Amino acid sequence: MAEQEQGVLGTPVTRRRMLQGSTLAGMAAFLAACGTSGTSPSAEPTAAPTPAPSAPPASTAPSPTQEPTPAQTPSAELNWANWTYYIDVDENDPNKHPTLDRFKAKYGTTVNYQEIVDDNDTFFGGIKDALSGGQDTGWDIVTLTDWMAQRLVRLGWLEKFDKANMPAFVANLKDTFRDRSWDPGNDYAAPWQSGMTGLGYDETVTGPLTSVKALYTDDPRWRGKVEYLTEMRDALGLTMLSLGLDPARPDRAGCDAAIAVLKDAQDAGIVRDVKGNSYAEDLKSGDAVLAMAWSGDMIQAVIEKEGLRFAIPAEGGIIWTDNNLIPKGAAHKFTAELAIDFFYDPENAADVELYVYYLSPVKGADEVMLQKLPEIKDDPIAFPPAEVRARLVAFGALSEDDEKYFNDQFASVLGVG
Amino acid sequence: MGAFLRRNRRLVPYLLLAPGLLWLLLFYVYPGFQMAITSFWSGSLEKGFTFALENWTNYTAALSRFSGYYVRSIGYSAAATILTFLIAYPLAYTIAFRGGRAKNLLLFLVVAPFFTSFLLRTISWKIILGDSGIVFGPLKDVGLLPEDFRVLATPVAVVSGLTYDFLPFMTLPIYVALEKVDKRLVEAAQDLYAGPWRRGGTIVGIVLGGGLGLLLGQIFGYWPPFLAVGGAVAGAIIGALLISESFVRVTFPLSLPGVFAGSLLTFIPSMGDYINAEFLGNPDTRMIGNVIQNRFLTQTDYPTAAALSFILMAGMLAAVAVYARALGTEELTTGRV
Amino acid sequence: MATAAPTLRHAELPAAVRAWRWFRANVLFMYTGFAILYLMLPVMVIILFGFNDPAGRSNFVWQGFTLDYWLDPLGVAGLANAVVLSLEIAFLSTLAATILGTLIALALVRYGFRGRGAANMLIALPMATPEIVLGASLLTMFVAIGQPPFFPLSFFTILIAHIMFNISYVVVTVRARLAGFPRHLEEAAMDLGANEWTTFWKVTFPLIFPGILAAALLAFSLSIDDFVITNFTSGKTQTFPMYIYAKSRIGIPVQVNVIGTLIFVIAVGSVLISTLAQRRNRAA
Repeated sequence: MAEQEQGVLGTPVTRRRMLQGSTLAGMAAFLAACGTSGTSPSAEPTAAPTPAPSAPPASTAPSPTQEPTPAQTPSAELNWANWTYYIDVDENDPNKHPTLDRFKAKYGTTVNYQEIVDDNDTFFGGIKDALSGGQDTGWDIVTLTDWMAQRLVRLGWLEKFDKANMPAFVANLKDTFRDRSWDPGNDYAAPWQSGMTGLGYDETVTGPLTSVKALYTDDPRWRGKVEYLTEMRDALGLTMLSLGLDPARPDRAGCDAAIAVLKDAQDAGIVRDVKGNSYAEDLKSGDAVLAMAWSGDMIQAVIEKEGLRFAIPAEGGIIWTDNNLIPKGAAHKFTAELAIDFFYDPENAADVELYVYYLSPVKGADEVMLQKLPEIKDDPIAFPPAEVRARLVAFGALSEDDEKYFNDQFASVLGVG
Repeated sequence: MGAFLRRNRRLVPYLLLAPGLLWLLLFYVYPGFQMAITSFWSGSLEKGFTFALENWTNYTAALSRFSGYYVRSIGYSAAATILTFLIAYPLAYTIAFRGGRAKNLLLFLVVAPFFTSFLLRTISWKIILGDSGIVFGPLKDVGLLPEDFRVLATPVAVVSGLTYDFLPFMTLPIYVALEKVDKRLVEAAQDLYAGPWRRGGTIVGIVLGGGLGLLLGQIFGYWPPFLAVGGAVAGAIIGALLISESFVRVTFPLSLPGVFAGSLLTFIPSMGDYINAEFLGNPDTRMIGNVIQNRFLTQTDYPTAAALSFILMAGMLAAVAVYARALGTEELTTGRV
Repeated sequence: MATAAPTLRHAELPAAVRAWRWFRANVLFMYTGFAILYLMLPVMVIILFGFNDPAGRSNFVWQGFTLDYWLDPLGVAGLANAVVLSLEIAFLSTLAATILGTLIALALVRYGFRGRGAANMLIALPMATPEIVLGASLLTMFVAIGQPPFFPLSFFTILIAHIMFNISYVVVTVRARLAGFPRHLEEAAMDLGANEWTTFWKVTFPLIFPGILAAALLAFSLSIDDFVITNFTSGKTQTFPMYIYAKSRIGIPVQVNVIGTLIFVIAVGSVLISTLAQRRNRAA
């Protein structure tokens, strides 16, 4: 094994050799500077999608008023990228999903369901090249959070829904989601699940907590054991609520004020770390006792460790939504619309809900859930009472410049700015 | 073909080199220049980027905002390099001089952890060093440590992680250098300078140990006096009693090229690391690697990220050049074992 | 270790001095033992937690012994794909890098030529460059020439990156082997009438093969475990280390530890086997 890693350099570096190296490099630089003009997004969203071998001519965005669209049939397969723990799972086989099996039984389509979305930015980084080049990303449905969906709408990188194919969606979408500011006709984004951001804490250490201000208070019970979220909108949103500001109308002044609160808390030694989902691990291990938390993680965590609680503070909590989107150029757009619509049937929505325990955007799903599992109404995380729901606020839409500003300022909270 | 080659003998090395070097040129050198170009871009992903020479201000902006991260990374990497050296040297020494037939086995054991995923290893440290984990839990239960003591989410954990990751990279070059030392020289030295280092050892031990303790205390952010005193005492003991004068005068200087090679192989990659800081640290311990990752992948702020990367790369090149010139790398050329 | 002390027999020395002398004589061995233990500690944790039976999603508290995950190591969605992808990339990049690197090593050791210094520098630099710089610069290149996307970030971009960083390590390893190569064997073969091609394949290659194999193993390990560079060049393709990183936020499935242990065992086993084979070759 000694042979494997020994010396590093071949020869002494003389000035002459460095010059030799740099002439070569200089030529390359010249060529590079000539060739580059920077990336620019394709401005017109008219890139022809690559036709899929199996799908009939149902891929292009149809213009329903022009000619009669040819009868569309569902494709043989559908590619769906989603987050983990976001759909029902067969008890005996973690790779099987009863609702998707029912979809297949109904339409004959095998859904290639991949739990490959772990982070909005990372996933976006993976599809942006294809989208900016007008090419098929390989996905028919992608499920991404509001703000990322908003960015995709802004960029023109999503297919517009043909509502004629989605009657259940049109009928059953809950009113709060209709005509969102960044998607006024609900033409591009179909909510999949909503979740809540609130306080996750270990009651045996902190006692019952009701105010979001606990996160920023120097209390010996949790000094040095508090964790904030890396998700900018959740962290800033909760902080804005603590200041009495409205996260639905975020502006730079509010951003600055919230950042100041967060940084003061960090400087005071209250905060242990700023992380994503892994705060749940720290709550479970006891390394942290209070955190900004997501309802989906906490549902699991309260089972795994005695004493953990999730609460929406009195000042309010943040509600966020992941949306089903059809990327531009998707090969099986028609089938994607069928699939999205399938889950707007209250039965199917309830089945998913009973596994993931998030908040459903489908009218009637809650009632079906209550029928199937009456005990659920006692679970405050899966079935928050109306007065809790009333306290939930969605973070407002940001312009591109504002989004850059907010992210840039937030980098200082993350420790990288 | 054999005839062609025989006639154009001079071409043969170039033909052999061409494919591989071409690959490196295309995918190492050219990207390096592309990164320099990118650092002169302005704009955004959505609106498009444009190249402009005036954007040299990207560098000044990046430096003025992020210079602290470079300093911190240098501090952590230096600490990790020193610690790795302290841990690796006696290990390499033992294998080289006292290894006997177990040499290869020992070397193998040193390198073996390298065959597991380094992400998993870092996460394992997170488990081991947990606040109430296998190491600190019992200590806290017994009362030896205060309840709110922790190593995770502090610079100590980050530097420990870095130190651990690069241990093989320091051990092997030192081992190779020690292995090459002519044993007869060592015997002669032991005849000349018999015995432990005593007075010289005590002085040097106190100075180095104390200095190191102080440095680590500064970097870790607490207990500089305690660590300095502890370091000085440990240094004195080791220097005076456990190190022989022959070692200091003969063996150690001969092993210096290996020490420098190992230091380079530890310090440079450590400067660019971001995994240890992310998993084991907290927002106050982020290194320049974390900033670069955030700028590239989360914020898609390519110009700033490229500028920061380029500065890092330039620093690395300078370090390599200085090192090569200072040591005359003939001895270290690969293959001359 | 000459002493100026009066010559007392060992057994007559006071116990403290005896203890000290024993300590001094063995301190290095004890230290080495501790150092090896320290090196192995995380590895042992990884292996151990492959047998854990966690109650929930997180695998960081020991809860009970089970073989379930060993019996079903790929039973988590996405893991099989990631492992297969990592293996494919590792295999292909090892193949390419070993060929390219061996050619370079042959040139460097056997021939004198102009531009040697630059060549050596070019080969050494990727090993000395921080991985984040390697990955980031590749990313900027792929982004810049991405319109239209000739180079979408994907399997191929990862492969390109892996071949690139592997070449240097292959060169270093094979060079070490070539240095002590007995040229006279080749000359003898050629004296006996073999041409260069035959000489290479029948004499040179078999003798340097262990070095090439060692280089290939090194390249394979580096490729399978690479995270940083892959992180920057992968786009949406997920290799095994990227899978681990993504799951580290939610809770790493126990199967990941199992696969990690398998990779470790196979790599260690290969080294052991090749070392033993070498020994037998030399003996024979």
